[in-house]
Amino acid sequence: MNQVNQEDWLDRELREAAPYIDDEGFTARVLQQLPPPRRGHDLLRAAILLGMTFLASALAYVVSGGGRFVSVTLERLAVLPALWILVLALVSGLVIAAVGATAAISRERGLQT
Amino acid sequence: MELTDADLVARVLVDDDQHAFGELVRRHQSAVRGLLRQLTRTDVALADDLAQQTFLRAYKNIRSFRGEARFSTWLYRIAYNCFREDARRRKELVGIDEEQLQTQHDPQVANPGLRHDLMRALNLLPLNERSAVLLCCQNGLSHDEAARVLDIPLGTVKTNVLRGREKLKRMLADWGPN
Repeated sequence: MNQVNQEDWLDRELREAAPYIDDEGFTARVLQQLPPPRRGHDLLRAAILLGMTFLASALAYVVSGGGRFVSVTLERLAVLPALWILVLALVSGLVIAAVGATAAISRERGLQT
Repeated sequence: MELTDADLVARVLVDDDQHAFGELVRRHQSAVRGLLRQLTRTDVALADDLAQQTFLRAYKNIRSFRGEARFSTWLYRIAYNCFREDARRRKELVGIDEEQLQTQHDPQVANPGLRHDLMRALNLLPLNERSAVLLCCQNGLSHDEAARVLDIPLGTVKTNVLRGREKLKRMLADWGPN
């Protein structure tokens, strides 16, 4: 029993001999020495995505004969019954929500792993 | 809701979020600096330099953190490696080694308190026993975690803790319960 008490006493003293050390600018000094964040990569990625989008849009415009498919689609939509348009809007909304949710879930999984 | 260490590490990995890394430094700076102060025998300036090296190295190598151990255990391992490399370098440069350092401590120094005696007794332990006692008894690591930090077999850690504690008890016998 005495042995146990003595061990407890020693452990307690050891733990208490390590008080909390105040930061006192330590974290700031470490952060100052970190290499710059990878902003360049992010900007490059954004520029590539934007460029590809513009290129694809221009290509679609030219191939479709000056964007004629847009006006044709609008004309077709205009003659559809109101219920059909409502259903179409609902389905489109659901598809977009599903794609968004899938992207959010995969990103969350990426963060966890 | 407070983010866990794993969440913060993920932010550093995915977004190179330095604020998240700053939060990790804030959380663990006291433990890492405390351990290094004990390992360097309370050389505060050297310990803080090594602690800075530890966190910089952690940031650069954060992709190698697999999450198999606690983040703090991983940091302790880096800190211990920084300490060992520095000790080796110093030994090469000025010829100081553990044994010499031990003899620099005057056992006749007046010791007004238990804390002072405990620190002195810790400093008199050989490095392998001191490291094992500090990690297991002071910082609360399991023997298995300490074995990973020190990169030695589990059995050796247990032996070093046992021997270190025995020596501490002998040196501090006057302070212990009767």
